[in-house]
Amino acid sequence: MFLLFLLAGGSRMALAHPMPNSGVLLNVHADRIDAELQIPLVELQLAWGHAVNDSSAGLVARLGPQLRDYLRSHIRPQSPDGRFWTVSVGELVAHETQNPIVGVYRELTAQVQMIPPGVDSPGESTPGEADVRQFTFYYDAVLHQVRTHKILVSVRQDWERGQLAEAAPVQVGEISLDIVNDRVLPLPVNLASGSSWMGFVSMVRLGTQHIAEGTDHLLFLLVLLLPAPLLVTGQSGSRRRTGRFGWGNFGGSRYSLRRLLLIVTAFTVGHSLTLLLGSLGWVRLPGQPVEILIAVSILVSAMHAVRPLFPGRETWVAAGFGLIHGLAFAGTLANLNLDAGPMALSILGFNLGIEMMQLLVIALIIPWLMLLSRTPVYAYVRVGGAVLAGVAAMAWIVERVTGQPNGLTQGVELVVGYAPYALVGLAGLALYITWRLRRSKQPSAS
Amino acid sequence: MKQIILTACLVTVAIGGINLLESCKSTDVDASSTTTTPGSSTTATSGSSTTLTTNSNTITTALATTATTTTCASTGVAQVVCLAEAFKATLSSTQLSTMQLTYTKANAQKWSNLPAGLSARNGISLGALSTTQLAAFRNLMVAVLALNATNEGYDEMVGNLVADDYLNTIGGGSDYGAGNYYLSFLGTPSTSGLWAILFTGHHYTQPYTFNAGAVTGVTPAFRGTEPQAAVTAGSRTYQAFEQERVAFAAMLTGLSSTEQTTAKLSGSYSDLVLGPGQDGKFPSTKSGIQVSELSSDKQALVLAAIKLYVNDMNTSTAATILTKYTNELASTYVAYSGNTSMTASGDYVRIDGPSVWIEFSYQGGVIIRNTPHSHSVWRDRSGDYGGN
Repeated sequence: MFLLFLLAGGSRMALAHPMPNSGVLLNVHADRIDAELQIPLVELQLAWGHAVNDSSAGLVARLGPQLRDYLRSHIRPQSPDGRFWTVSVGELVAHETQNPIVGVYRELTAQVQMIPPGVDSPGESTPGEADVRQFTFYYDAVLHQVRTHKILVSVRQDWERGQLAEAAPVQVGEISLDIVNDRVLPLPVNLASGSSWMGFVSMVRLGTQHIAEGTDHLLFLLVLLLPAPLLVTGQSGSRRRTGRFGWGNFGGSRYSLRRLLLIVTAFTVGHSLTLLLGSLGWVRLPGQPVEILIAVSILVSAMHAVRPLFPGRETWVAAGFGLIHGLAFAGTLANLNLDAGPMALSILGFNLGIEMMQLLVIALIIPWLMLLSRTPVYAYVRVGGAVLAGVAAMAWIVERVTGQPNGLTQGVELVVGYAPYALVGLAGLALYITWRLRRSKQPSAS
Repeated sequence: MKQIILTACLVTVAIGGINLLESCKSTDVDASSTTTTPGSSTTATSGSSTTLTTNSNTITTALATTATTTTCASTGVAQVVCLAEAFKATLSSTQLSTMQLTYTKANAQKWSNLPAGLSARNGISLGALSTTQLAAFRNLMVAVLALNATNEGYDEMVGNLVADDYLNTIGGGSDYGAGNYYLSFLGTPSTSGLWAILFTGHHYTQPYTFNAGAVTGVTPAFRGTEPQAAVTAGSRTYQAFEQERVAFAAMLTGLSSTEQTTAKLSGSYSDLVLGPGQDGKFPSTKSGIQVSELSSDKQALVLAAIKLYVNDMNTSTAATILTKYTNELASTYVAYSGNTSMTASGDYVRIDGPSVWIEFSYQGGVIIRNTPHSHSVWRDRSGDYGGN
């Protein structure tokens, strides 16, 4: 949702140009730049002559090699020492797109790899091998002929600067006709230098953000922790009669803390494992079933919080569901397409961020739950919380199966904004009930 | 029992709250997707007919009425100031503060060839004016623009609004239509100080700059229309910007093939070079063929095209400007790209003189896809924004 907003904002920025522009989106790596070119076919046709717009079906199959040659001859990054970079044009796709000004139009996207001189094998960088951050960008596809064309150059991802593709691209400049002198000047690109530390820190931030905005992950954990301070009744003695378990009284501080710690650790171990495997591309599951399973995990935990489904085995369940949540986290990292070094640091940083945020939330909530769990009111809090989480989980399941958001899930996102107030309310309730209980116990001594 | 009631309450409150939020959401969506304009309706165009029909809305109906009532008997700038004050007198204080702005270059440059919904304008929209206020607006524009010329001057302006109404009805929605054109006064109207009338909307922008009791500039003026074809509103058929397209085609096809080769630009043009936001960027070198190299009848065709812009202004303003452009005609250049017939998307023509700069671009349709329409800008190398 946030991403959509940013995308909308991005297209608004281009409002000054009525005709469809070209875009160059740079993905800055340590030793190369992967660029995505976006070229409106109506403008390309005017520049290139071939009927690429009038007959865009099967365009890449028909004219792929010629298109690659054409693009290669109009993309020439040059290092400050005068040497030109190696440019290779990869995947080409012709598709329909739209913007608010020109409506629907057809566009060619091309994946281009630009490697500065001195780099032998991209992906295995030696630091200081070559500078990708400073170059003169000679780029005039379409513009060499169509004098009214505009090319917007932006950085979409720059890991060492802490800029990730999740945020809006940062515009570097515009290549267009210098009207007064009737010439096209190259664009000087000077990206501020970055570091592995900056990349690492931004991944920690992304991790915390992911949990802070990942209502479903947090809800799962909280619901799983709801009954943790409680003893299970009917556990000893009548173990034969399964299904007769219930949640009993507060099991004591040591008991609760031990169980909380075990559950949180198990969840962490589970999601760390799949985050690692998923980010490295060893395990890859499609997003939709993973997202559905996450919603199911909340529903199951909510049912467990009402009545014990798997008493004594919470640790294993937490670890198992952790494996699923980790796969969802891995999707975020896999989308960044990072090289091995930055990826290792990213996995570490991202996981650290997730842990920090999780622990913060737990530290803020658990004391009040433990305090409340000593009182009779806790049954209402536990069941009420579980029912609400269960309703949200079912709404998410429906949303993720159908692919359509519904009123409940949109509502949940809005309600989450008021979570700090709920926390204050919870703390207030815990303190008040504890105080009442103490007072009523003193005179009667019962 | 208590536990169940409390739980049920919590759930009810939560769901109720969510439903409430949801209902807000769906109301928003409905509000933004409703794009009806009172008084206008769609008439489908058949493939065989060349005339498109839109039932004129209240604004263009009011502006197309022929009766002019004015108490401003004075002439020249004094009369324009009188009519400007008369228009101001019809506005509420809130409307006035929206319309009457200070003269700054930034305010003067706030025009565009995009619908106002996509590029916000200063001033008061025609959609916000009552019939009385529209009549006062009409009196003012009739005084600064040429009257009694079909599809030129004031009539061209109304035809442009009618065409935009048509875009509104065929799917353009509320961003389009006569109600989205804005009028502002930059500086207080006076016969001594610096001030300007700026009327700007989607395909029509006309500034009028005054200083020390004289007209100092009427550019940059933007003209264009979508659809390029005729549109009927009420009992009138408008084709606001067709005469210009035809005049350029006559000018270019009138050239010999060698002259055409000289006039042809090497580059391609899918839009105007000096559109909105490109102020003062006139090329240092002129391209194309110099008018002095042409025979007198071919020179007359160039002047005829220029006149279709200059003669949109009232007689006295047009006469002064036309004298200058005629005197400079020999040093003026004509250049084009695409076809000389000005019939296809990508056809482009330019007139570049010591003072005059006119560009005409025939380009791809936005609301009516795959059908070209015109964009055109008239600038003056020294007279844009009154030289300010």
